[in-house]
Amino acid sequence: MSTTPIFRAERLTLHFDAGRTRALDGIDLEVAEGEFVATVGASGCGKSSLLNLIGALDAPTAGERYFRGQPYSVMLDLADFRRRHVGFVFQSFHLIPTLGVLDNVLVPTIGTPGRSAVHRARALELLERLGLADRLQHFPATLSGGERQRAAIARALINKPDLLLADEPTGSLDSANAAQVLDLISDIRRERGLTVVMVTHDAGVSAHADRLVPMRDGKVAAP
Amino acid sequence: MTLLEFALHNVRQRPARNLLTVMAVALGVAAAVALTGIAWGFEASWQKANDARGTDLIVTRLASTNAMPSPFRAEPLQGELRGYPKVRDVVGLLSEMLGVEAGAPPLFVFGWTHGSYLWRHLKLADGRWPAHTDEPAVVIGVVAAGLLAKKVGDTLEIEGRRMPVVGVFESTAAIENGAVLMTLTQAQQTTDKPGKVNVLNVMLDADATDADVNAIKARIRERAPGFVAITSGELVGQNTVVRIAKAMSNATTLIAALVGILIVFNTMLMSVNERTREIGILLALGWHRRTVIQLVCGEAALLTLAGGIAGVLVGVGLTLQLEHLDLLRGKIDANFPLSFLLTMPLLAMLVGTIGGLYPALKASRLTPAHALRQE
Repeated sequence: MSTTPIFRAERLTLHFDAGRTRALDGIDLEVAEGEFVATVGASGCGKSSLLNLIGALDAPTAGERYFRGQPYSVMLDLADFRRRHVGFVFQSFHLIPTLGVLDNVLVPTIGTPGRSAVHRARALELLERLGLADRLQHFPATLSGGERQRAAIARALINKPDLLLADEPTGSLDSANAAQVLDLISDIRRERGLTVVMVTHDAGVSAHADRLVPMRDGKVAAP
Repeated sequence: MTLLEFALHNVRQRPARNLLTVMAVALGVAAAVALTGIAWGFEASWQKANDARGTDLIVTRLASTNAMPSPFRAEPLQGELRGYPKVRDVVGLLSEMLGVEAGAPPLFVFGWTHGSYLWRHLKLADGRWPAHTDEPAVVIGVVAAGLLAKKVGDTLEIEGRRMPVVGVFESTAAIENGAVLMTLTQAQQTTDKPGKVNVLNVMLDADATDADVNAIKARIRERAPGFVAITSGELVGQNTVVRIAKAMSNATTLIAALVGILIVFNTMLMSVNERTREIGILLALGWHRRTVIQLVCGEAALLTLAGGIAGVLVGVGLTLQLEHLDLLRGKIDANFPLSFLLTMPLLAMLVGTIGGLYPALKASRLTPAHALRQE
């Protein structure tokens, strides 16, 4: 394993409403290559805000983020960073309702280099791996919650990311489906050497994560 | 899935609104196509009529830009022109748009020098030509015959004179098929313009060169102040009616383009506002801002391309129908060059892209995390 962390945060701060709301307040965090980190804490403690900053979906008010030692602030193209290195899984799936499962998985490949046949083959392989081979043309509304989340995981993996960011991926699922999704993420992480950062309330995640990062009031709390 | 397929997919998701947008764009394009086709057709009809007669140069008043040039006395200019080198023939032509028979639409009435080369391109469909320059008789084009429901042996009342129809003719020029023709002498009597013509038609020798043409033009400028020798294309180009028709078609095209931009702007702004979270998802999944711009502008361009194609079809169909209206039959020969028909949908696409640009920029500037929080 490389000694350089895949992600590092220094004094990461995020304020909203002109400073009236402090989502994150000077977070320091390191995530090693291949590590499975679960961020836990009460609602509003800043877990999702931290995930958004790691995935470059938002910009910090202060502090710096590093990906394999490179500061985010010097990256010229954060969209390219997201596409090449980051896969997102959201609590509410965020699938495009008018597209079938296969097309949803292919959405991140649109406008990217490479042949569409290659993208399609990779999408089919992922959907096969995630047990959705018989749901290719199904629209999200016709799928169960577990199937939707598996489709979202396939979409997150289509561009072969290094970092999988999952925001309450089991939050909308029943316990059986939640366990299945957690198992899948763990298995895929092992198969592909992925680094996983997961925001969760799910007590079952501790069985899968290498490390728990508890948060309180926008800060990393003592374990 | 390609970006184009995704844009097509999105366009199909809001069928009612997008269909209305396509129809609005199509109406604008149809109006522009119809008016432009008519304007160009009007110009082409006159050009064709002049060309069919075999006229090389037209001598007319310098400042005359009316639908028909102002009448002037043919002599002594006509006689002088006949003496110019390389000039084979010079014949007078008088033309008016006149009411012919009560209740019928106005028609072009031409008076041509009897026995001149102007008559040669016409084909007699029925009857005969006027026997001599003083015969008070008319021949009518096939379209005019249909419009007036007249045949050989009937009579026509023109400016209070009732004249027998002695023949029906066909021409390669639509404008002549819709006209009434008589000898120049009879036209001068009928319109009370004895000795006058609108233009003098000059036929040159077959071996006349451009240098000869330019020499004749220069000589007329020098010897006949107030007159000018021009080609039929130049005459038609400075015709007021042609210029007004062209200006109207240009204005309609401009207005249609501006309205199209506003319609597409509104449609795409609504679409982007409704899809804020979806755009946030795309950005979160690694889409570049330029790809979002391409998507939104692409959707706008697809809408206007569909409107442009539909508009061209409707515009051409509409014009062909207008050509058959009694008021316009035989006066225009709608002209739709292929390049023009292909350009209109492309122009519509450009309009769509411009209209979609602000909504696209707005969408691309969304912060992914903020967009994802939108309901």
